[in-house]
Amino acid sequence: MANEESVDAGTAEALLRRFEPVIRFTKGEWFYPMDCEPYVDACSFWVSRPGEDAVCVVPYGELSLERLAQQPEDTTGAVHYLKIPNPKEDGDRGRWTRRRAKRSHTNPDWPKETFQAGRGRLARVGYLSRLADALFSLALLARGRVPGGDVEGGRVLYGRFMEKKERFTYHGNVVKQDGWIVLRYWLFYAFNDWRSNVFGANDHEADWEKIFVYLSESESGEVRPEWVAYAAHEETGDDLRRRWDDSELEKIGEHPVAYVCAGSHATRYFRGEYLTELAFPLPRALSAIRRIARRFWYVTLRQYADEDYREKPYEQFTIPFVDYGRGDGLSVGPGQDMEWDPPRLMNPVPSWIWGYRGLWGLYTRDPFEGEDAPAGPMYNRDKTISREWFDPVGWAGLDKVSTRAEELEVINGRQAEIEERRDLLRSELQEKSSRLKALGMDAEATRDQSHLSKLHEKQTRHIEELSREVESLRAQLSDDEVLAESLKDHAEGLREGERPPASAHIMHAARPVSEAETRAGKVAQLWASISIAVVLVTLILIIAYQRQHLLGVLVFAIAMFAFIEAGFRRRLTRFIVSLNVALAIVGALVVLEHYFWGVIILAVLAVGLYILWENLRELGR
Amino acid sequence: MYRQARLLGVLLLLQVIAMVGIGVWLFASIDWDAVVNLSNEPNKVRLQTTDKSTLKQFVQAILFTIYFFGPVVLLLLAGLGFVLLRRRGWMLASVAQALIMLACLFFYGASRPWFAYPIIAYSILMILLLNSRSVRAVVHRRRLTPADARPEIARGE
Repeated sequence: MANEESVDAGTAEALLRRFEPVIRFTKGEWFYPMDCEPYVDACSFWVSRPGEDAVCVVPYGELSLERLAQQPEDTTGAVHYLKIPNPKEDGDRGRWTRRRAKRSHTNPDWPKETFQAGRGRLARVGYLSRLADALFSLALLARGRVPGGDVEGGRVLYGRFMEKKERFTYHGNVVKQDGWIVLRYWLFYAFNDWRSNVFGANDHEADWEKIFVYLSESESGEVRPEWVAYAAHEETGDDLRRRWDDSELEKIGEHPVAYVCAGSHATRYFRGEYLTELAFPLPRALSAIRRIARRFWYVTLRQYADEDYREKPYEQFTIPFVDYGRGDGLSVGPGQDMEWDPPRLMNPVPSWIWGYRGLWGLYTRDPFEGEDAPAGPMYNRDKTISREWFDPVGWAGLDKVSTRAEELEVINGRQAEIEERRDLLRSELQEKSSRLKALGMDAEATRDQSHLSKLHEKQTRHIEELSREVESLRAQLSDDEVLAESLKDHAEGLREGERPPASAHIMHAARPVSEAETRAGKVAQLWASISIAVVLVTLILIIAYQRQHLLGVLVFAIAMFAFIEAGFRRRLTRFIVSLNVALAIVGALVVLEHYFWGVIILAVLAVGLYILWENLRELGR
Repeated sequence: MYRQARLLGVLLLLQVIAMVGIGVWLFASIDWDAVVNLSNEPNKVRLQTTDKSTLKQFVQAILFTIYFFGPVVLLLLAGLGFVLLRRRGWMLASVAQALIMLACLFFYGASRPWFAYPIIAYSILMILLLNSRSVRAVVHRRRLTPADARPEIARGE
């Protein structure tokens, strides 16, 4: 963090409170942002060494943030992790649940704690993804995963904290980097119950999420909010951030509004339901086949290329999950259902942040890591320092963006640099042009003289080389002239208060699915739920009872399933076109196989007649 | 603009006529003298033949009727749709072509009758025509409603 400065605690707190976000949750959410200290106090501390059983280093009730920072029993390959108490050991089991249920009747502001899934996620995707989903679910039996009892343990634990005092807390840290003042709001949740609560991809104990606000500082010391970045899963880069004056960014006064997805706690800019895909890269051979097939279909045959075809750098196999960021539940923030409590300040950075590199919840040894608890704000699961900690500006792709205060200064510097380079280019160009002319004259003088032919050849080669150099210099000069002109226009625009489009930097914005997509008939949802099982059972029945007509019956069954699926997914037209094109190719092969020479002769005749027709038409004009 | 659609309609109706013609020819070419009605009851038919080639012809004619009756009806409706209603009938025509091609490929796999080839060839031409850009431009054209014209809007925004 060479170019990073820390900010004193008083200024940090004032800035954090001034721009603290408003967070809207989804009805049915169990866990809200809390202070991490009571969580740590309630947990036990474990160490897992390679090839050995995990060992409890600090039992329940004896752990503290200070002790956590010491990270005891550290050896090569050791994984340190926390573990929440088992609910069976807890006498207060279910009290918080009962209390919340009671409040939902007595206090109309308090959301009803029932989650209603929308259109089933499986109804939104095709067979392959459904099959992959089934395999993914089956794999959970073999992979490490958070036991079902832990979810209840998390709920009981969180309920106990809330019973003591309803608190909604974030962890705040402010740093300066590359001219930006970055307000980092770290949100700690006791549990991520995305899988158990809303049929998502994973569960894990503890969850650290974040919202960053980027400020610039004028010469007079005034701060101005310019960008915000909300974290969602593992995403990074330009797509994460929104400009403060973006009309799509919802704000209440100086407080940006974020929608937190149920269970996963991914933070979104818009309320809605998001199709989140878990991606696995395909084996190279398979991805090559898929790429060739797609190119043939969309580019060569020009089938619906405008709507569907996107060249991807590498092919992936995806499993869909839905992130529900409906914003119809509790709202936390200034003037909302619940106000933020004073934040836990991380200026200066406390020892438990930099001292503890382990996981904040159960280590399940899941090879996909989805079920393992996350590390703290400063680290990744593998104990390396996380980018959002050491490079919060680069994390949101802001490292190439100037603050508004710096913009004109940067342009002026760049213009001076270009002007200097252009002067150099001009003088070099002048010199080389003169040389080129002289060489041209020499070559003209030595042309068609047998005793000077070797010299003439040499001169010609030099002329070619020099000519290329001059051409390249002229191109550079021309590019610089255009660039200088553009910079001048841009500077003028900025002086007049013009700004580039607020969403120009976004390549793939995460947007909720449209309302039409979330509406689906019950039959479609039922079909999506049972289709894979039906396909498998049908396959077994065909193999068992129709072995003599296996191919025909299989083709018929596949066509029928594909037809039904296409109908439910409103892709009947596309399905029929695809089927027809495939059948036409097979049909053409059949005809070709039987009447090969006849087809060749007919084709040649047709081409000949066409050429004749075209030529005669031209003659007639 | 609709000339292409009408032409398509006429070609579909020609396909209907050709298919019906093949069906009639298949039934007409059966040697009915070699077929005996074994049923004594007035409203029941029970046929039998000892000639194997007649039996084969008979089975082929029946299968042809079973396989192609539905698609021919669809073709007729699609053809009339294109001729009379200009833009209606694309889906019917496409489904009919798919069913005809599937039936022909089944026939081809089983007994390779001569009529499978011309029907396949004609179907290929019709599929190409149905999926040509000019036909698509006519039949898939629809007026954008205000809801369609808007960019995707976040739910609840």
